[in-house]
Amino acid sequence: MRYADFTPYDIVLLLQGLGVTLALFIGTTLIGLAIGLLLAVVHHYRIPGCRPVIVLVTEALKNSPVLVQLFLVFFGIPAFLHIRMTPVEAATLTISLNTAAFAFVVFRSGIESIDRDQIEAAKVFGLDRSQILRFVIAPQAAAFSVGPLVGILVNQLQVTSLISVIGVFDLTKIGNILNLRTLQPFIVWAVIGLIYYLAAKTLALAGSRVEAALRKSVKWGGI
Amino acid sequence: MRFWRVIEPHIGFLLQGFALTIAACLLAIVGAVLLGALTASMRSSGNRWVRGAANAYGDVFRNVPFLVQLFFFFYGLPELGIYIGAFETGVIAMSIAGGAFVSDVILSGIMTVDTGVIDAAKVSGLNRVKIFTRIVLPIALRVSVRPMGSVLINLVLTSSILSTITVNELTGAAKIVAATTFKPFEVYAVLLVLYASLTTLLSFAISATHRRLNRFMMGG
Repeated sequence: MRYADFTPYDIVLLLQGLGVTLALFIGTTLIGLAIGLLLAVVHHYRIPGCRPVIVLVTEALKNSPVLVQLFLVFFGIPAFLHIRMTPVEAATLTISLNTAAFAFVVFRSGIESIDRDQIEAAKVFGLDRSQILRFVIAPQAAAFSVGPLVGILVNQLQVTSLISVIGVFDLTKIGNILNLRTLQPFIVWAVIGLIYYLAAKTLALAGSRVEAALRKSVKWGGI
Repeated sequence: MRFWRVIEPHIGFLLQGFALTIAACLLAIVGAVLLGALTASMRSSGNRWVRGAANAYGDVFRNVPFLVQLFFFFYGLPELGIYIGAFETGVIAMSIAGGAFVSDVILSGIMTVDTGVIDAAKVSGLNRVKIFTRIVLPIALRVSVRPMGSVLINLVLTSSILSTITVNELTGAAKIVAATTFKPFEVYAVLLVLYASLTTLLSFAISATHRRLNRFMMGG
């Protein structure tokens, strides 16, 4: 057997890569959504001085390449602050903040989509600010945000492929290794592409299920 | 200022990289818009097979990471006996990936065209090609300036990925500068601000174009 052949162990390698990609994607999504939500709530309550900073930072994150952000965090911050940073830490930090920037915009417009009158009415009924946030704003903003959010997450899943460039052994990095060993780029990259495609499709399908469930209460069901 | 002190000796080299980024983006934008318009016209066709093929193209290239597509072309094309440079490969990959997104935008623009307008064009005796190029496409493009703009901004950001296949565009040049100066933080921070200002300028230009093309819709 030549070293250049495909072996059954390659499947294990691919699964490992997929595992790393999915773990990093899920982790950064949870962190990113939490930060994005926090920023949107802070933005909503007009805490003095916070608004311009939040807008500036999220705009910078949305308008610059993720690859450059990764390089800045992985090469720049350790050199600047004289600390150690592993590729996985750098990748988690960068992708989380990136997801947060995109999620912030969606959550913000979700909150802004709610009619002022509803909030006024809730105030008249004697609900306090946190009750208004939880019972009036949150359910409607969630239903409104799920659609765009799923689109963003499908995109972020693809963005995670960039972390292979700073040395995280994700699916794309495994593809690189297999490509260099077997020298069969068509097979290797088609398989890697197919795995990403299936993951993206599964995510989109799950997202539309959640959206349908959340919109059930919003839909007009007759009297 | 410490950032400028780090960048200053290498400014010429970085500008070369910037020129390469601009060149790649302009070529890819032309390619993506042409391919996107073609795909959108195929997706709005009456023939099931034509529509299916165009939909499959858009679906695949929007759901596979650009990095994987780029490696597929970069390592795959020489296997087919096609030997082109890394820059050309990058432009082709960007055009194909961009075309998938542009086709979406143009298609939704086409969908907004009133069927009455098309009927009127038919009654006036225009043939199908004329109706599409002279009537439908101008209206569709007018409403899709803004979403098209965000696709093009994404394309500019995507061009940074070409640095992974040895193209020394802006990001690739910055990588070399960071490695020679041992000051990665300063170099990449400046780079991030540069990209952000470039895309922000682009988005202002897009808003202005949108306003100009739709000026008679505003009334007043």
